[in-house]
Amino acid sequence: MKYFKLPDLGEGLQEAEIVEWHIQPGDQVSTGQIIISVETAKAIVDIPAPQDGVIAACFGDEGDLIHTGEPLLEFVGEQQEDSGTVVGKMESASEHSEREQFVIGSPYRPGPTVPLATPAIRALAKRLNVDLSKISGSGNHHMITSDDVERAARLTQDLGEAQSLKGVRRSMARNMAKAHAEVVRVTINDDVDIDHWQAQEDITLRLVRAIANACKQEPNLNAWYDSSNDTFRVIEKVDLGIAVDTPDGLFVPVLRDVATRETGDLRDGMNHLRQDVKNRTIPPSEMSGATITLSNYGTIAGRYGNPIVVPPMVAILGAGKIYNNVVDTGIAFASHRFLPLSLSFDHRVITGGEAARFLKAVMEDLSMSD
Amino acid sequence: MQYTKTPYQQKQMIDANGAVVGSLPESINDELLLKSYRTMVMIRTFDQRVVALQRTGQMGTYASCLGQEAIGTGIGLALKKDDVFLPYYRDQATQYLRDIPLHQQMQYWGGNEWANHFSGIAQQDFPNCVPIATQVTHAAGVASAMKIRGEKRCSLVTCGEGATSRGDFYEAMNLVGVWQLPMVMVVNNNQWAISVPRNIQTGAETIAQKAVAAGIEGFQVDGNDVCAVYDAVRYAVNKAHSGKGGTLIEAVSYRLGDHTTADDATRYRSHEEVNEAWKREPIKRLQTYLHASDLWNEGQEQTLQEHCKQEVEQAVKTYLSQPAQPVADLFDYLFEETPAHLALQKQRALEKMARLGGE
Amino acid sequence: MGMHEKIADLNQKHKPVDTKTPHVVTMIEAVNMALHRAMDADPNVVVLGEDVATNGGVFRATVGLKDRFGHKRVMDTPLAETLIAGISVGMAAQQLRPVAEIQFMGFIYATMEHIVSHAARLRNRTRGRLTCPMVLRAPYGGGIHAPEHHSESTEALFAHIPGIRVVIPSSPTRAYGLLLSAIEDPDPVIFLEPKRIYRMVKQEIYDDGVGLPLDTCYTLRQGDHITLISWGAMVHETLQAADKLHQQGVSAEVIDVATISPLDIDTLVASVQKTGRCVIIQEAARHCGVAAEICAAIQEQAFHSLQAPIARVTGFDTPMPYLQRENVYMNSASDIVDAAIHTLEVS
Repeated sequence: MKYFKLPDLGEGLQEAEIVEWHIQPGDQVSTGQIIISVETAKAIVDIPAPQDGVIAACFGDEGDLIHTGEPLLEFVGEQQEDSGTVVGKMESASEHSEREQFVIGSPYRPGPTVPLATPAIRALAKRLNVDLSKISGSGNHHMITSDDVERAARLTQDLGEAQSLKGVRRSMARNMAKAHAEVVRVTINDDVDIDHWQAQEDITLRLVRAIANACKQEPNLNAWYDSSNDTFRVIEKVDLGIAVDTPDGLFVPVLRDVATRETGDLRDGMNHLRQDVKNRTIPPSEMSGATITLSNYGTIAGRYGNPIVVPPMVAILGAGKIYNNVVDTGIAFASHRFLPLSLSFDHRVITGGEAARFLKAVMEDLSMSD
Repeated sequence: MQYTKTPYQQKQMIDANGAVVGSLPESINDELLLKSYRTMVMIRTFDQRVVALQRTGQMGTYASCLGQEAIGTGIGLALKKDDVFLPYYRDQATQYLRDIPLHQQMQYWGGNEWANHFSGIAQQDFPNCVPIATQVTHAAGVASAMKIRGEKRCSLVTCGEGATSRGDFYEAMNLVGVWQLPMVMVVNNNQWAISVPRNIQTGAETIAQKAVAAGIEGFQVDGNDVCAVYDAVRYAVNKAHSGKGGTLIEAVSYRLGDHTTADDATRYRSHEEVNEAWKREPIKRLQTYLHASDLWNEGQEQTLQEHCKQEVEQAVKTYLSQPAQPVADLFDYLFEETPAHLALQKQRALEKMARLGGE
Repeated sequence: MGMHEKIADLNQKHKPVDTKTPHVVTMIEAVNMALHRAMDADPNVVVLGEDVATNGGVFRATVGLKDRFGHKRVMDTPLAETLIAGISVGMAAQQLRPVAEIQFMGFIYATMEHIVSHAARLRNRTRGRLTCPMVLRAPYGGGIHAPEHHSESTEALFAHIPGIRVVIPSSPTRAYGLLLSAIEDPDPVIFLEPKRIYRMVKQEIYDDGVGLPLDTCYTLRQGDHITLISWGAMVHETLQAADKLHQQGVSAEVIDVATISPLDIDTLVASVQKTGRCVIIQEAARHCGVAAEICAAIQEQAFHSLQAPIARVTGFDTPMPYLQRENVYMNSASDIVDAAIHTLEVS
């Protein structure tokens, strides 16, 4: 304490007269040491020091009257406890402190992030059991209208619940839509006579090799085009993306450096990829970085296609279902096997001539005997 | 004193040493002297006990009247039962004399509105007024009602000297003058408005002279001399009752305690000044006079001290055993008829109270 | 500089500066520090009010100012609130920057005529010839077991008045930054300090003289499921409620409105557009409170994003009861949690 005040000496007495100080300013006192004698209406009382400390000042001289609650003396260096108020009681902070973290204003730009719908529409949706996050609004600013909700409810009633796209199919939807919106795609078709192929010829392997060779002839099709920066990069190494159909959706694992690898090695690599895709153990790193793509849908059905070029690649080769056609061999008419090809390219950076020469190179390679 | 406009000259009757100044007027008889003394001792005992309750966490913030007991006592004894008293917040003695029990006064500072539910002669009295000087205008309103009805009653309002800096004070006093209202204004000039001393509160030599501009009578009395306060208030009340208008009485005293129990006056005033003021406090001087006049002896003093202590202890017991105000009261006393939205909120409050584990 | 750039710039400035030593201060000490800084920086800043000079203010907001800057710049006034507001208008019209203290908000009503009829419209009435760069500081709010008239939260009275700013800090950091900006502001500012938290929390502050912007909210915590909006002392209960909700897997965004007039509705709308749900917490009585204005503004601008009705946690439409029942009036963190859960359950 800073000030020691005259304590209640009992009996409701309000004052005492100082008889004698036993200490003076500057003295060191210890708890219990008699510091002053005072005389009340009843007796002379010796008052002990309430604490250890050095006396700064004594208030009142011998003979002076001091009242209960008034300061008798002041200790050196003590802090007076400040209530910090004139009414009530202030809650004190703990010693813990830190710098406050906050954002001035909003961390976001204003803009809708939940489906826009009025409370009435939300109530309607709730009543009709329609999930607003699954429908898009046809109103102003894409606001969901009652027609939208009722249509969604009718569709569900007639056709069953629509499923939200997930995983691979969802990313296929996004990537294809994006590619379709961006790329100026042209597809050219031709058929190559493969009648001389052996019965158990590995078609995919032949196509891989043909693409690799065609890339040597026409390197511009093995390239990346970044439209946001308008940069074009021809790539020496041929990393071939191979479209693989699965029940979950489209996978495009990458067969690396197909131009320099031995046939056996390629076959092993391809089998691995197929197996990994089937088992869903293929790591994401094995599905990125393709420089050109092969889609061999002909193993199922379909003669020609118009495959989608997925940026930043600039070309994709589609192989259709092998079919027989009558040819004039110059000696006789004969039935030969043909492999139909569809080459899509991004006409923003690839010319028709480059694409045609590429396709020609592919066909020449496939025409060769193994 | 040349500024004050008054025929009244009885500034002081018993001085700080307990000696009679001149002679006591007829109005001051032995019975009154003894009642004054008993009241002041009771109030001081009460005051110290309430401070102790606050220190031990059993009381809210309390504004002590230490050293100013004579003002409240003089007013309480001079005021008639049909008059209306409008206090500020150091009027413990007047309220006690208007039959507001000590435990009820404790209840006010303890934070319970039922403390303001007065009865008997205090039935029409206003409760304590914390917003400074506002009560002075209310007193003018009360006095206006009495004047309109032609009643032989008056309003009596108190405030501190700090309050006389406010417009409310001047505005009300002006009206007292111009409408000749039956109103008595008693300023407890205890020298300190929290930390602001009298000399920087106003440039006027006295508070009393502020009455001059309002066209009413105003004068100073020794606010630590209960006889002087009593006689002055009696004079002003009689004047008001007889239709002769209002009076401003400046009762000069000293705030011996802190502003409230949360304040610490050592921050802004010296020990020397307080020690000097103690020499003028109101109880000791009357005790000295009573002893000297053979109206009082040591045995009576012992008995009185014991009596006051017991009364105050009984009040403490009653106060501490009183339940908190019912939660429903928050809503039930806002309008004569509780509006529907409040009834709903009341329901919520009761549910909340139940969650908090109360009644 | 546009508003966004200005705010981005300030967000940058308020990143911790490691080269200086921070002061560890309570909110009342932060107010004191800002007053020292402002008086140091501008000789036109003067401080006036009851008990502000010798006593240093009943809450010690102005402690040390008289010794440092002298009695001509730090003035104990007579006990007269009308006067304090009125002379502040006059001083401000003479290009002083008065920072006046009204000891408690319960005694501020006497200033209303000067605030409403003069301070708020001096610039407008004189078409900019006379201005009123004054700050009226007042401690406000309940929860310290004070006697009657010492616990009110009537900020809405001022928020309703065109032409004045109403600023309410909720931490030492914002008390320092907002008070500096309020003093620098060329127009009148009512600066309400929630006294319950004057000494409740300590924070590290750099006495760098950098003000925080007025007219913006402060996002104290980011979350996705619900937006909790508050100001003043209730921000503390709101943060506690956010902690409790977090334990239940609810991610709550907490916004301190800080400047209740003018109101930064963009920040509030952006948050509610993200979360779709909102609870507003005010200590004041319910009817016509600031929460009601925020409700109205959000429904106007984020109507289509709302997934549940906006909820309010407020005081009752009664006076603050005497201290034995103060706890019934004051809302706690669990009252806020209850309201938030209720709002989240509306699907």
